[in-house]
Amino acid sequence: MKFKYAKRVVALGMAAMLSAGMLAGCGKKAETNEKGEEIVELTWYQVGDSQSDDELVLEEVNKYIAEEIGVKLNVIKVGWGDYNQKMQVVINTGDQWDMCFTCSWTNDYLQNAQKGAFLELDDLLQNEGKEMYDSIDPRFWEAAKVGGKTYGVPSEKEIGSCPMWVFTKEYVDKYDIPYEDLHTLEDLEPYLQLIKENEPDVVPMYLTKDYTAPTYMDKIQDPIGIEYGDDSLTVKNVFETDRMMETLHTMRKYYEAGYINKDAATASDDKSVKRFVTKGDGQPYAELIWGKDLGYEVVATQIMDTQITNGSARGALTAINKNSEHPEKAMELINLINTDEYLRNLLNYGIEGTHWEKVELTEEEKQEASDKPYTYDFKVKLNEEKKKDYSVPYYVQGGLFNTYVLDNEPVDKWAEFKEFNDASQEAPSFGFDFNLEPVSTQVAGFRNVLDEFGKSLYTGSVDPDEYVPQLLKKLEATGVQDVIDEMQKQIDEWKTNK
Amino acid sequence: MSFAERRKERAKEKQLQKLEEQQCEWNKIKKPTNVLFNIILSVLSLLCVIPFIFVIIISFTDEQSLTMNGYRFIPEKWSLYAYEYIVSAGQNILKSYGVTILVTVVGTLLGLLLIGTYAYALSRKTYAFRSFFTKVITVPMLFSGGMIANYLVMTKVLMLKNSVWALILPLCMNSFNVIVLRTFFKTSIPDAVVESAKIDGASEWKLFFKIVIPMAMPGLATIGLFLTLGYWNDWFNALMYIDDKSWVPLQFLMIQIQNSIDWLASNKSMMGVEGIQAAANLPKETIKMAIVVISTLPIIFAYPFFQRYFVNGLTVGAVKE
Amino acid sequence: MKRKDKAKQVGFVTRLKTNKELLLLSAPGAVWFFLFAYLPLFGILVAFKRYRLSGGFFESLITSEFVGFDNFKFLFSSGDAWIILRNTILYNLTFIILGVVIPVILALLLNELRNKGMAKVYQSSMFLPYFLSWVVASYCVFAFLNPEKGYFNAVLQQFGHEGISWYTEKSFWPFIIIFMSQWKGMGYNTVMYLASICGIDKTYYEAAVLDGATKWQQIKYITIPLLKPMITILLIMAVGGIFKADFGLFYQLPMNSGPLYPVTNVLDTYIFRALQTNGEIGMSSAAALFQSVVGFIMIMGANKLVSKIDADNALF
Repeated sequence: MKFKYAKRVVALGMAAMLSAGMLAGCGKKAETNEKGEEIVELTWYQVGDSQSDDELVLEEVNKYIAEEIGVKLNVIKVGWGDYNQKMQVVINTGDQWDMCFTCSWTNDYLQNAQKGAFLELDDLLQNEGKEMYDSIDPRFWEAAKVGGKTYGVPSEKEIGSCPMWVFTKEYVDKYDIPYEDLHTLEDLEPYLQLIKENEPDVVPMYLTKDYTAPTYMDKIQDPIGIEYGDDSLTVKNVFETDRMMETLHTMRKYYEAGYINKDAATASDDKSVKRFVTKGDGQPYAELIWGKDLGYEVVATQIMDTQITNGSARGALTAINKNSEHPEKAMELINLINTDEYLRNLLNYGIEGTHWEKVELTEEEKQEASDKPYTYDFKVKLNEEKKKDYSVPYYVQGGLFNTYVLDNEPVDKWAEFKEFNDASQEAPSFGFDFNLEPVSTQVAGFRNVLDEFGKSLYTGSVDPDEYVPQLLKKLEATGVQDVIDEMQKQIDEWKTNK
Repeated sequence: MSFAERRKERAKEKQLQKLEEQQCEWNKIKKPTNVLFNIILSVLSLLCVIPFIFVIIISFTDEQSLTMNGYRFIPEKWSLYAYEYIVSAGQNILKSYGVTILVTVVGTLLGLLLIGTYAYALSRKTYAFRSFFTKVITVPMLFSGGMIANYLVMTKVLMLKNSVWALILPLCMNSFNVIVLRTFFKTSIPDAVVESAKIDGASEWKLFFKIVIPMAMPGLATIGLFLTLGYWNDWFNALMYIDDKSWVPLQFLMIQIQNSIDWLASNKSMMGVEGIQAAANLPKETIKMAIVVISTLPIIFAYPFFQRYFVNGLTVGAVKE
Repeated sequence: MKRKDKAKQVGFVTRLKTNKELLLLSAPGAVWFFLFAYLPLFGILVAFKRYRLSGGFFESLITSEFVGFDNFKFLFSSGDAWIILRNTILYNLTFIILGVVIPVILALLLNELRNKGMAKVYQSSMFLPYFLSWVVASYCVFAFLNPEKGYFNAVLQQFGHEGISWYTEKSFWPFIIIFMSQWKGMGYNTVMYLASICGIDKTYYEAAVLDGATKWQQIKYITIPLLKPMITILLIMAVGGIFKADFGLFYQLPMNSGPLYPVTNVLDTYIFRALQTNGEIGMSSAAALFQSVVGFIMIMGANKLVSKIDADNALF
């Protein structure tokens, strides 16, 4: 009896699978839009977790872009943790896709461009993408160039990385700390001591394993790079610079003085720990985000001037497959997303009326917004119930400056970003790409050495005088000098051709 | 079956059980030894059960009290939030359960058939190609073409992208299981039985189904268990081959959430403020644990299911008759 | 010469004929292995190429530069290569030995229990850790070892000792890693031996008891010898994995803590970290190929050894 039942289950399952297979095999008919253009389907790989209303929004998007440019989108979202691996397979097998998200921290832009995965966009940008090309800060385009060619459309957002000290406002107010004047690591010392003496419950400087000591260098290939402000472009190992040694000694001093939590090298952020200062990588209004994350107010000050490096300016790009059948259409679409307010906000926040509503600006805000760039007549109020059904990382689909701001954000948020970008300095190495092919064996050994010693050194958990020589010795063994020499050679070439 | 018949059957069963018990008392370990064994095994079992209970408790802990106090066996405040979040996250968990169960059942049966027949042939001493077919499976035990080559074969040659077969076929066989089952066959089925059946004119096919399968039940149950677990825990094939949301298995749904959490936690510093924003959208610790509970509780019952077949094998005499 | 060939051919055809039924039985499995295991083997070629894209995969593979063994060099370029190899091999040897001893003992204990009901409960419980991924297991371990809030340090401090910074103190970790690996794997491995014991013909024991054999003698002279084929075959296969390490065990469990590298860095973690920086698929293929070749040599060696001692239990 049991067997019969099992058989039936199996038979049912088989039948279900067969029919599913048949359905999938059904041929597609060519669709056309009202203008009579044939609708082209484009496949777009994006990073981020699937949302339950993805399809709903996509349907709306497709309706719009079919009429505008004759395109239909097939969006494939891959989770944060799996995106890199999946894209490696999709790209290297020459699979069918048209567009994908790429950047310096996942699905690496530089590597893919160098390996020939992406289409050169320079011609398309002058035609289909002209409107968008002109609207984006030229420095983003400069950063997007690899070997003189452009392989991706940058999402316009903050261009530089800006390390900051993040102070808990409570203690800043209590002890009246002039936080805005504190910049270098050494500046902090008297106040760390003050907190240590007066607030026994508070960790003066709370660090976690993600922490990197303030580094005044563009680490082109960690730990090797060019120091900020070094216009002679001398390639150095960061652990051989005086600045870093000084910093590590200071960290060690702080650690031994008990300013730093003892488990810093292995800790992951424990929000219940009360802290006075910590380090974060910021952007305009980052305090609001940190504050929300921690549940109390924080204030922040920049450690150094914001520097633009290739890594920082390649925070988010959209690339087109070299083998795409419809590169022009793909470019038309990217152009439309980056220039069309309706489409951009639809992709970003979901459907108006379902996921969000427009809120008029107050008089005060209107005043503030007037004659500032990138401000809009509305703010967005997210629907409390539906917002979790559609929440996407904003920069994955396009630039940020033509999205509306949320009702709890300042009206001039993007104007502030623009100002921030304009004030950022280009690092001397900005625009230089290291081709690590000749030294890829040597570079492969770096990560192991850096991970072994880096965290303990940066957090001051170990004595730099003892451990830096060890680290250097191990790097030596993996052939760090070859990499320095190769990079110096390449950068010299680059300088003469610049 | 009528009621009277059923009662008769039950009575018969009881009698048999009694008989067995009497028989079993004979040749058993001494009581003090039994106590010692029990103590050893209880300690080990506790070591294994406690972490799991721990996971269940954390999944019911209030997120706030978790961040304040860390992991506790008895949390300050209980909460159902994690489960509510997962259920309301919109992803169709029930449907994914369905996909997983379908894939697991079909895959296990198909796998048992394929592994069973192949292993049976290898276990036969008279099989002239025994050595050749053993070598055939030894090579892939070690060498593989890698992710990219597999992807090409699956999508371009076998055309299995977005097909449920992409979840079933890659896992239904592997060299390890074949070799283990072959060893089971070799040790638990005496040559004499096979030979006498052959002399009686039985075909290999019949031999396999009528004699070998019933005699090697514990072995088949073991392989069945391994297959079931393999299918249940698989998410990688879904990541690679399934873009269509209607065929997403449960583990993939769950592992993706966990992978995202872990990745963001370790790469937050690279992403700056965006990392914090992305991480803020993601569920926290308690949800990770709830995921473990949701995805493993049902499969835990698979073990007792297969355990039924671990009864001490039929004796040779019983088969001969 | 010619005649011999012919004789062989005839022999082959008759052999096909006489083995027709068994051949049919192995056919479906053989087809599977061809499609899913042999067909993708062309991917190994990538290990010898500097893979660059130009069109589809095969086009790219052909046009990519042939670099010989360049992709393998990174495996040995680090100053720590020998420490990593030492760790990998020593841990694996320990795992191989414990992976036989512990499950066999457990299977024997479970099999001899008087209360069969409890035996089932124990079996099921010991299977549980298998379901917890290393990530989740690492949280459980962290709950005990957390230097600030963990249970172990709380107990130590209770007795007036100073807390230990578990994640930087490397001397404990070989034990923790070995313990945890057995904790996770013992249920799974026990099943195989338990099923083997169940498959043993009862009449052997009946005869032994009639001859007045004690329990211990029965185990020594019946159970263990009858388990030998299974033990041998699992050992041979385990030896093939001597250069492969369970990534999660060595990466997630110690929370990727730098000061522990001297005792936790194994081949798989080294390769993972190495390829994080450059994502060269040729190098990952090369690493996998290296592990496979060494494993293959080990298996062949082990098999040869076994066939000399006890040909019946060898792999082939």
